[in-house]
Formats: sequence, C-alpha cells, structure tokens
Amino acid sequence: MTLFNLVTRSMRKNIKHYYLYFFALILSVVLYFVFATLQHDSAVIAETNRSMNMSAGFQVAGILLIFIAGIFVIYANAIFLRRRSREIGLYQLIGLTKGAVARLLIIENALLSAGALLVGVGIGILLSRLFLLLLMKLVDFDGFIELNFSVAAILQTIFVFAAIIALTSFQMVARVYRSTLLSLFKADKSEEHPKQPKSFLSAFLGCLGIVFIAFGYWYSGHMLNALLFLNMLIVLATTISGTYLVFRVSISWLLYKLRVSKNGHLGLYNSLSIASIMHRMRGNANSLTIIAVLSAMTLTMVAVACSFYYSTEKDAKQIMPFHYMVLLGKDEDKDHQVDQFLQELDSEGIGYTASTVESLYITGEIMGDDFPTWLNGSTYFSIVSEEQLREAGLAVQAPAAGQGTVYDASLAWILKSVKTPYEVKLLDGPKEFSIKIEQLGDGNVINFPSPGTQIVVPDLVFNEVRDMIQGSEVETFTFRTINIKEDQDLDKAYDISRQDKYTAFSFSYYEMYKQNVQNNGLTIFIAGFLGLIFLLTTGSILYFKQMTEAEQEKNNYATLRQLGFTSKEIMRGIVKKQVFVFGLPLLIGLLHSIFAVKSASFMFMSDITLPVTISMTLYVVIYLIFAFLTVGYYRKIVKAAL
Amino acid sequence: MEQKTVLHAQNVRKSFGARGNVQEVLRGIDLRVLEGEFVGIMGPSGAGKTTLLNVLATIDRSTEGSILIGDADISTMKDRELSAFRRDKLGFIFQDYNLLDTLTVKENILLPVSLGKMHKRVAEDQFKSIADILGISELANKYPHEISGGQKQRTSAARALINKPSMVFADEPTGALDSKSASSLLGTLEDVNKKRGVTIMMVTHDPVASSYCSRVVFLKDGMIYSELYRGDKTRQAFFQEILKVQGVLGGDSVDTL
Ligand SMILES: Nc1ncnc2c1ncn2[C@@H]1O[C@H](COP(=O)(O)OP(=O)(O)OP(=O)(O)O)[C@@H](O)[C@H]1O
Ligand SMILES: [Mg+2]
Repeated sequence: MTLFNLVTRSMRKNIKHYYLYFFALILSVVLYFVFATLQHDSAVIAETNRSMNMSAGFQVAGILLIFIAGIFVIYANAIFLRRRSREIGLYQLIGLTKGAVARLLIIENALLSAGALLVGVGIGILLSRLFLLLLMKLVDFDGFIELNFSVAAILQTIFVFAAIIALTSFQMVARVYRSTLLSLFKADKSEEHPKQPKSFLSAFLGCLGIVFIAFGYWYSGHMLNALLFLNMLIVLATTISGTYLVFRVSISWLLYKLRVSKNGHLGLYNSLSIASIMHRMRGNANSLTIIAVLSAMTLTMVAVACSFYYSTEKDAKQIMPFHYMVLLGKDEDKDHQVDQFLQELDSEGIGYTASTVESLYITGEIMGDDFPTWLNGSTYFSIVSEEQLREAGLAVQAPAAGQGTVYDASLAWILKSVKTPYEVKLLDGPKEFSIKIEQLGDGNVINFPSPGTQIVVPDLVFNEVRDMIQGSEVETFTFRTINIKEDQDLDKAYDISRQDKYTAFSFSYYEMYKQNVQNNGLTIFIAGFLGLIFLLTTGSILYFKQMTEAEQEKNNYATLRQLGFTSKEIMRGIVKKQVFVFGLPLLIGLLHSIFAVKSASFMFMSDITLPVTISMTLYVVIYLIFAFLTVGYYRKIVKAAL
Repeated sequence: MEQKTVLHAQNVRKSFGARGNVQEVLRGIDLRVLEGEFVGIMGPSGAGKTTLLNVLATIDRSTEGSILIGDADISTMKDRELSAFRRDKLGFIFQDYNLLDTLTVKENILLPVSLGKMHKRVAEDQFKSIADILGISELANKYPHEISGGQKQRTSAARALINKPSMVFADEPTGALDSKSASSLLGTLEDVNKKRGVTIMMVTHDPVASSYCSRVVFLKDGMIYSELYRGDKTRQAFFQEILKVQGVLGGDSVDTL
C-alpha cells in the first residue's frame, strides 16, 4: 500500500474527526475571502479613499482578521491532533517511521486545505455580494453596485492560507516528533484530577480575583481625567487578571467546597456537571478566560459601533442645530451670499425658515467645585438669547428668570459631571457679571465650528450683558440661520450650497450628517464583521471542546444508562454543565462589556441604551445557537451510548 | 420449602442482523432463578452468554419470549419503564468496572440512589454497611485512578448493591483481576449472597469463579446445554464437576486466543 493510499483510506475512515477541522478551515477561508473581496472592490475603494480613517480602519481590520483566522485554525488543528493522537501512535506501532507519519499528515493537511480553500472561496464568492450590498447600504451609497470576480482577492486569500497551512503542518510535524508513543496513546484521556485546593491560598486568590474585577468595574467609572490612557490600562489589567483568577481559582474553590459539603451524595446532575467541570478546570481556565475576555471585547466593540451608527443623525443635530448657520463678517459679502442662496432655494421651490441669532463672545470662569481641576482657568463663553433662538426655530427649554443653561456638545462629557447649580462669572476687564447655571442642555445651540461654551439666557439677561460690554473689546457675533422645511429637500439644498461661489457655506448640517453616516456605516460594518468572526470563533472553540469532552465521556453515559438512568435524566445533567460552560464566560463577558460601554458612553450625546441592548441581544442569541448545537451533539452521543 | 421465583425466562430468543443475514444468538432459553440463588453462566466464547445476560438484565431486548423479574414482565415494558426498573430493582457489575473516573469511590457507589426516593441518611447507612462488607470504607474519597483493579471491582459491586436490588447481574466480574483479588471478590459476593440473600447471576469463563455459585448453567450455541447444582458439595468437588462438563463442551480452548 502506498503512502497516498494510506492517506485516502485513513481520511475516509476518520471523516468524523476531519469535518470539525475542515469546517474550521472553510469558515476562516470564507470570512477572509469575503473581506479580501471587499478590500479589492472598486466601489469600496472609492468610498474608503475619501477618508483616511476609513481606509486605515479597513487595513487594521484585515490584519486583525489574519491573526484571528490563524489562531482559530491552529486551535482547531490542536484539538484535531489530540483526537487523532491514538491513530498517529498506531501508525508508528505498525512500523511507519516518524518521517513517514509526518509526511502522511502533511499530505493529508495539504489535501484538506486545498479542498477547504476551494469550497471556502466558492461560498465566499456568493456571500461577498451580500456583504457588499450590506456595506453599501450602511454607508448610504446609492450608486450602482457591481461585484467583480476579484482575482486579487483570491490570490491574497491563497497567500494568507498557504502561510496558515504551513504553520499547521509544522504543528503536526512537531506533534509527531516531539511526543512519545505512550503519550500519544494517552492523549485523548484527560489526566487531570481535582485535588484538594490549598485552602488558605485558594481562598485568598479566589477572593482576589473577585476584588480585582470589582475594582476594575469601579475604576472604569472614574477614569475620565488627564491619565485616561493609563487608567484604561489599569482597568484592562485588573479585569483580565481578575477574570483569570475567577476561572482558575475562585470557581474551583467554590465547586470544591460545594462538593465536599455533599459528602459523597453528589447525585446524577451534579456528577455530570460539577464533577466533569472540576475534572478539567485547570485545562479549561485558559480558554474560558480567553472566551470571556474576547466576548467582552466583541460586545463592547459592536455595542459602541452600533451606538455610533444609531446616534448618527441625533449627534449631527446636536452639533449642528441649524441646517445652515453663517457667521457674518465685517463686510457685506457673506450677507449677500446668504441672500443669493435663499433666492436660489426659492426658485427651486425649497421651503425654508431663515432668521438671525446673535452671540456675545466673552471670557469667564466656572465657579463649580467639582469641575475637573485639569480644565481649570478662564474660558470663552458665547452668550445667546433664548428668544432669538426660539424665533430662529430652535426650541430650547426657557431658563428661569436671571438664570442660564449651558450648551457645549464637545465638552458635554465633562460638564455632565459638574453638579448644578453653579455660577459662571463673566469678565470684561474689571467688570463682572455672574450667571447662575441651572442645568446642562443637549448639544449645541450654535453650529459647529464655533468657539466657546454657549450659555442660553433670557432676553433680559442677554441685554444686561450686552450693556456691560458696551464699548469694550468683547465681540458680538451675528449669525444667519437657515432651516430647510422638508428633510427630503436637504440633498437638493446641499447641491446648491456646495457651489464654489458660496464660500460662507463651508459647514452644513447635511454634509456633516452624510460624512457621519459614511464613517459610522463603515465602522459598524467592520465592527460587525469582526464581531461576527470573534463570535463564530469563540462559539466554535467551545463547541469543539465540548465535542471532545462528549466523546471522552461516552463510556460514562453508557454506564449511566446501564445503571438505569434515562437519556433525558442524563441530558438534564449535561445541560446543567453547558449552562456553566457557555453561560459563565458569556455572563462575565456581558458584565465586563456593560461596564466598558458605560465608561465609553461619554462619547455619545444621545442615550444609547437601545442600540446597546439590541446589539448585545443579537450577540447572545447567536452565541446561544452554539450552546444548543453542543447540547444536540451530546444528545446524539447519549442516545447512541447504549 | 417453596422459594420465590425472582426471574423466569421462557423461550427467549435473540437474533442480530437485518433480513437476509440474520444470526440467531439465543435459540429458546428457558430459565428460572429462585430467590437467594447464585447462578453462574458458562460456555464457550460466542455461545451467547453476554447476550443472555443483557437480555435478562433489560439492557437489551429479546426478539421473542417472555421474561418475568418478580411479577414484572420486562419484555413488554417501554424503554422508560425499563430504565426505572433497572435503577430500582437491579444491580450490575461489569468486567471493566465502568466506574465514572470523575467521581470518587463514594460518589460512584451512591450514584444509583441519587434520583430515587431513598433518604440521604438511609443511603449513608446503606453505604457504610456495604463499604464495610466489601472492605472499601477507607477508600471513600479516592478517585478510581488511585485504587487497584480489585478495589475498583469492589466499588463496582458496592454500587450494584446500594439500592438493595432484587437481583444482581455480573458479566465476568473477575475477568480483569488477578487470582487473589478474584477469589477475594468472589468470597465477598458469596457472603453477600448468603447473608443478605441477594440473588446473583454471573457470567464467567473461569471454573474457579463458578465454583462459588450455587448453580451453574452451561450455554452452547444459544441453548442451555446442561446445569449443575452445587448442593452440599464442597467447592473443590463442585469445581471438579464443572471442569468435567467444560471438557465436554470444549469451550476453554477458544479462550487461549
Ligand atoms: N450487537 C451485536 N450485533 C451483532 N451480533 C452480535 C452482537 N452482539 C453479539 N453478537 C453476536 O452474538 C454472538 C454471541 O455473542 P456474546 O457476546 O453473547 O458471546 P459470549 O458468550 O458472551 O462470548 P465471550 O465469552 O467471548 O464474551 C457472537 O457470535 C456475536 O458475534
Ligand atoms: Mg461475553
């Protein structure tokens, strides 16, 4: 029998072991290929080239993707090798040299990988069209989309996977050469047995894990200061090491205590869950930690991206409360431009409202106690009259007589934490004027870009301030505001205003909105794509691991059924174990991400509960599919056991 | 003195394989086991001993025939009822122990009563007395990989006895043991049989093992070939008799395989 015959025969016989690895390979090929296709698609390139962020985002995502695919395939290969180690040992036992066995495995691997590449690229071609449509929809691209069959994408995929396959082949060869026959025969038996934990040290480390996590959570709510980056590192370090300790020590310790308290009367369900988990805890601590941390990362990433996308319009509105807001200069030119623009709108039949808003640009100091010291000192304020805003069509809440409301979209995340009421002292040379600030308003009342924090005051106060600065250096800005009546006309109006002659219209709500849609659309696409890959990867790893465990415990299930336990009763114990295996990392990941999102929420001006809830629910649902698949696999094994 | 019948099998048949390629492994077995008996089943390899034991022990179903254990007709029971019946009424000892390696000795032994109605304190007392008889009290908190084969088989026997079964089935319980641990285990089984009145059915290749029984049934080609009762004979004499029948059956030669 030639080596090749042996390969094909052993492949046929081990098909069950192969398809797990095969599936992992195909999955990575498909995802990578889809990504590569998008990367080489002319429409996407055109879109991304418009912004540095976008193309950089794509590039980073591509590199990250290679890493994930590589790690995933290598991990699957490791499980695959462990399951087959007996077979590898057998080949050596019947007299094949190590070299021959290694060659056999490499040929096999090459055949498998070639197959996976073929299948994966095939599926990828079908899927990439779908993903492209999705991406273009997300960035609000309304041109015609054609998907070209991309040779460059195929070559890139082949290149990346050739490297990954070389790595796995190396892994296989190392396995053959580095392990003894005996260890090969024992590899599919788990050798770990729960030991009595050293009580003091375990209790200490176990508690330390929980303390670390709690500290990380607490600290994540207090890291908005000059040392933001360092703070983030501290939070990451404490929560990750805390998570590891929880999986490695705290849980073993708790389970051990629970088990001891049962004094041998463990019962069927606990025997199938707790005992089985304890049996493998040391080996599983690493992967459960990685899965919890990865889940947390993915959840945070997706939730934040989702929130950005969701709040695109609201955020644009908050930064640009008026569709157009033109600051008039000393000369009449800008005024003319506005008039001309309004005429054009008229002739196009576009409805609008136009008005004028003034602001007094003056230095001042915030007198609040809990205003972060690192931002102390005097700043500029724009004092705006509430009545003028209302006339211009911006309905802001009227401040009480003699008081003011602060607006500043770019500083809202800091101002949020300053307790109201506080005083703002306006300074004009020796003259002073104090305004009591009763609350922080949403977003801006003057379009971006405008310097200074805005304070909206009643007309009476506005006039008092104006009187105070009479004849001094303090400037008064006059803005002309334009709001387009119907949202669907915004596009047309923008086409008019972006003509070169309108130099005064360089910033508009619609332009900002469009740009945000594009950026956030791409962000959510990349985050979603990577998130999906993380999710599929973590889910598959858990599934693979549980498959292996199920096979290792097959004999136990047979015994239990012989002893008279029904498969239903056995399954109940197994489900209990899955609740732990899948549920715990998910729960910890969710908790981590909730705190992470909470500490990142300063970036949003609007409420993000809804998008966060939606994205997290979606994640949990997909994740749970893997849990159900796993339970299904166990059920098959248990049913067939007798 | 009329003894109660624990097991009554009538015309039990079992075939394997699909149409066209049917192999009849059990070809009409009639067997009655009385309460307190220690029945050995012997026969050449492939005679159908394991198959018979599995069918009688409700692990497998017969193709034909009726089997009564106590008053229950197990050949008409549904799978679920069979499981419950196995758990409540029967005990098993397997050749390779079949202990759960994730559980300690005590946890293994107490497993069969875990979903039953037995009170924890009763179970604890039951465990203590059985572990005492089998001499494994010291091992309660050890894991299977930490104890010897003989100790594992004692654990397995204790697990079979914990729920006070009306009958214990054992398939070559001494098959993996050296002769010293084998005879020690058999002595204990004999003890349990005599003192606690547990009915035992044991498949074995070993004439020494079957000489502990009160009756030995010989199987050949799926049928009962003959039966020997120990009566008042010494174990040695019974052993010689068994050897004689075995010689006629010519079974052991296959075993050297
Ligand atoms: N599940 C099965 N499917 C098909 N044939 C089977 C099955 N189980 C047993 N047999 C066949 O039934 C016959 C009897 O098997 P059995 O295991 O009962 O023999 P045995 O007397 O226990 O032998 P040994 O002493 O070697 O254990 C054998 O020829 C075997 O091939
Ligand atoms: Mg047998």
